[in-house]
Amino acid sequence: MKSQIHRIHQQMVNKEISCTQLVQERLDLLKSNSHNTVNSILDALALELAAKVDAKIKSGSAIGLLEGIPFGIKDVYMLQGTYATASSDLLKNYKSPYTATAIQKLLDAGAIPLVKENCDSFGHGSSSENTIFGAVKNAINPDLVGGGSSGGSAVNVAKDFTVFSIGGDTGGSIRQPAGYNKVYGFKPTYGRISRFGLMAYASSTDCVGPIAKSIEDIRILLNAMSGKDIKDQTTYQSSIILEKNILNSDEIKTVGYFKNFIENDAIEAQIKSDFLISIEKIKAKGIQVKELDFFESETLVSTYYTLAMAETASNLSRLDGTNYGNRIEGENLKETYSITRSDNFSEETKRRIVGGNQVLSQGFSDEIYLKGLNLRDQIGESFEKDFKEVDIILSPVTPNSPPKIGDSLKDPLSMYLSDAYTVGFSLGQLPTITVPQGTETGLQITAAKNNDELVLKFANFLKDTI
Amino acid sequence: MSKIMTVDVLSSIKGAQPSKSVNKLFEAIKNANSTNNNFFNNTHNNAVSLNDLREDVVVDSPQIEKQIIIENFPREKNGYLVVSKVIEE
Repeated sequence: MKSQIHRIHQQMVNKEISCTQLVQERLDLLKSNSHNTVNSILDALALELAAKVDAKIKSGSAIGLLEGIPFGIKDVYMLQGTYATASSDLLKNYKSPYTATAIQKLLDAGAIPLVKENCDSFGHGSSSENTIFGAVKNAINPDLVGGGSSGGSAVNVAKDFTVFSIGGDTGGSIRQPAGYNKVYGFKPTYGRISRFGLMAYASSTDCVGPIAKSIEDIRILLNAMSGKDIKDQTTYQSSIILEKNILNSDEIKTVGYFKNFIENDAIEAQIKSDFLISIEKIKAKGIQVKELDFFESETLVSTYYTLAMAETASNLSRLDGTNYGNRIEGENLKETYSITRSDNFSEETKRRIVGGNQVLSQGFSDEIYLKGLNLRDQIGESFEKDFKEVDIILSPVTPNSPPKIGDSLKDPLSMYLSDAYTVGFSLGQLPTITVPQGTETGLQITAAKNNDELVLKFANFLKDTI
Repeated sequence: MSKIMTVDVLSSIKGAQPSKSVNKLFEAIKNANSTNNNFFNNTHNNAVSLNDLREDVVVDSPQIEKQIIIENFPREKNGYLVVSKVIEE
């Protein structure tokens, strides 16, 4: 698919459609909330901004590429004066006091926020069923889950309710729902986009990223949001990725894939055969393909969840109803904390907080948490070694096709294991895109740290190859 | 403090119990091969350089931010923000 942003921009410039008309159409679609993607609609703000864009066009002034483009925001981001619920009871009436850096950059470029989008509560889930706003329905088959945790965002893009959406990816939360709904979803290198104003889940792997219908749109949005931010000291300065730089992929000579991801019992037969067909098509283009060794899925998932739970237990300890949140008064302060948290957190969130406190407590931290940190270092080293041999690593996004709504919640362990192919790249802090091609749930393209440009290059190559 | 704290106390969640599913993940990590015994080898060092620290200055929040923070406060009485009764043990 061609760039939606360029197409709509041109339509507005040519006065084929007014910005108000465009925004109103999308708001009407969102208001029906047919797929449970909407936590709150920002109609007054959106229409006010649209009117300004129309006035600017009418006066004959030039508008920027993102000016007037309507978008959605996963409901874990701050946008001053709007609700930021994290799809939770605890924060269902919480208003953002400030705006996230990544969102502010889009606002500065003139993009128009339409909606705060449904997701798994605090990012805790892989299906967008762990939410107080009702399970998100898959864009292609509404009996299936929308994926998660950025499920509402991926479905809104797939259904054209938004032109693009901003998700958050800690262990696959952009890439997996993008795959489930057949759109593009990009997790940049950790630190490329500021996390300031994104509610922290697991700070060491949390990433901000775009979901859109074309590689060009992903490139535009990545450029708009990237950059060093004094408010997130893990950010770094990156260069703009030019369109012409990602059109030619001649420099990509070698692609690798993890043998153990493909040769195991957990992967669905169809996904496996489709993946191998894609590999053959790549080989046919003269690219060398190498099989790589990697950690067992179980080790990857356990390492990721150990660290993510430890970090979320710490990050969510501030949610006690004292300064904000749905406080439920008890007899004293400790009782108040405990009742507030028991009644307002979902079962999955509680499971992760308790797990995190388990691994951080004396007696457990050495053999679980510290070993998890050690394994993460080994995973990082393994990637460094791999990227000396290959330019790109290709992987399926998930071992299985999307489950039916209701099935994931019954079995948390199998939900955790369904993240087997995405969590490794998170632990490595690597840039990875999901492309809606190759298998039913897409393919992941990964490059070495800070090589986000190469990921987009190869995505363009694949678009024309398979 | 030598008192053993259970996970429900540590987590401030009433009646919280360790989950069987999560424990299975922890078992997997205990049994995983770890060839490298150096726990902190800095592969994932995201620390900021001392030369790159931000200025240690107080930045005043805009009025709108202060107003929303007050709005978000769970309880108010006669113009005062009310916190829960603090106990001392």
